[in-house]
Amino acid sequence: MKRLDSCVRLAAALCMALGVLTVSASAMHIAEGYLPRPWAFGWMAVCVPFVAAGMRSIQKRVRDYPRAKVLLAMCGAFAFVLSALKLPSATGSCSHPTGVGLGAILFGPTATTVLGLIVLLFQALLLAHGGITTLGANVFSMAIVGPFVSWGVYLLLKKLKARPAVAVFCAAALGDLVTYVTTSVQLGVVYGNIGEYLTIFAVTQLPLAVAEGLLTVVVFNVLEKYARDELLELSVL
Amino acid sequence: MGTDRYAYASRLRRVDAIPKLWLSLIPLLLCVCCDSAAVGVATLLLMGGLNVWLGGQGLRTVLRFLKVPLAFLAVGCLTILVRPLSPEEGALWAVELLGRFRWGITAEYRDLSLMVLCKAMGAVSAMYFLSLNTPVTDVTLALERLRVPKLLVELMELIYRFIFVLTDTAGRIRVAQESRLGYQGWRRSLESMGTLVSMLFLRAWRQGERSFTALESRGYKGRLDTLPADAVPGKWLYAVLAGVSAAQLGALALERSLLG
Repeated sequence: MKRLDSCVRLAAALCMALGVLTVSASAMHIAEGYLPRPWAFGWMAVCVPFVAAGMRSIQKRVRDYPRAKVLLAMCGAFAFVLSALKLPSATGSCSHPTGVGLGAILFGPTATTVLGLIVLLFQALLLAHGGITTLGANVFSMAIVGPFVSWGVYLLLKKLKARPAVAVFCAAALGDLVTYVTTSVQLGVVYGNIGEYLTIFAVTQLPLAVAEGLLTVVVFNVLEKYARDELLELSVL
Repeated sequence: MGTDRYAYASRLRRVDAIPKLWLSLIPLLLCVCCDSAAVGVATLLLMGGLNVWLGGQGLRTVLRFLKVPLAFLAVGCLTILVRPLSPEEGALWAVELLGRFRWGITAEYRDLSLMVLCKAMGAVSAMYFLSLNTPVTDVTLALERLRVPKLLVELMELIYRFIFVLTDTAGRIRVAQESRLGYQGWRRSLESMGTLVSMLFLRAWRQGERSFTALESRGYKGRLDTLPADAVPGKWLYAVLAGVSAAQLGALALERSLLG
């Protein structure tokens, strides 16, 4: 475990030293007004059932356990702050963790969808990352596809008795990666040549996904050490 | 935090949030729905102007915020502009890559990428009218009056308040780490970052529990009701809205007649 951890850290150091983490993850948010109207509203419609399911699951949790509302809100704020943290990289520009995998593993995919919706709305309003008309598309890639994939991968690997570090790494990195693939496809189906978007984002996002996976592993190691009770309460362990 | 600081200083701060919401959303939707470069430019100028004239924001502030989405739009519009062509297709400019692939710019896609750029900038400018003149707490109260589910609104209010607590915590941890050379070198940076994120989560969780205890001891029964601040109705903003919409549609008509 300890050796794996140091290997993981060394690998992270290497991939950052290569200086490839140059484009900020905020480039994954589709900017306001970029999508034409059928797609903008279409993606919103696609998100509605997921958000409704998320609301129902939160409502149920809050009914059984009133504390959950405040805690979930705290976690939403955590996701917002996480996405605003700057990870320094070689060229002086910054990259941001998306927190998709972390959220999905900690709170489950449906609750993450609702939290993601609110966080993305705030990011659009406060920081102009993303937008109101593209909220549907962004929620779909970042708060629905990403979390569901992360959560699925994590459950699968846990069932296969993989090491926790491996499961967390794969869940977070794949969640990050799938999010960007979805964004590329969303852009590609509108303006043609999906391949071009994929290659542009692949160069910038692949190392970011690895870094995010490694970061999530480090976070989980610390949480396991100091926050066992909280993790048990969330039924992650 | 981003635009919020400026929203509290806006001249329209005391005006009711709902007219401001419509004055931002309807030009935004019109701009996105018209698919026209002229409407985009008109929206950009009009809503940017309203931010300066009505909102009392500095021109420099508005321009600085308008620069934010440019990074995405530069990449996004370049991928529309430059694309693979078939060998016999006519192009304004083309280049052979590796002797096999022909990439270039055609007139059709030049117009499309220009339209998308103008439209997106117009839309961003309309969105800024809301966020540079309305603090988020007013937006959430307005959403509640517009019958958005109470649970969602309440989560938004709580998340908004907690964002500031956690940003402060994260900032202080960061300063402490940096003053102990925690971000010297990539390896140490990652380690410090991991510690920061996990400690932030822990603090967030404990702060959440403390907040809940505090609420409960003050008689919290699952609803957080806040009194709206007294606001000026601001019905005159609907007249401005009518003017802006008319100007947008005028720009559309003008573009259509000029391009035939």
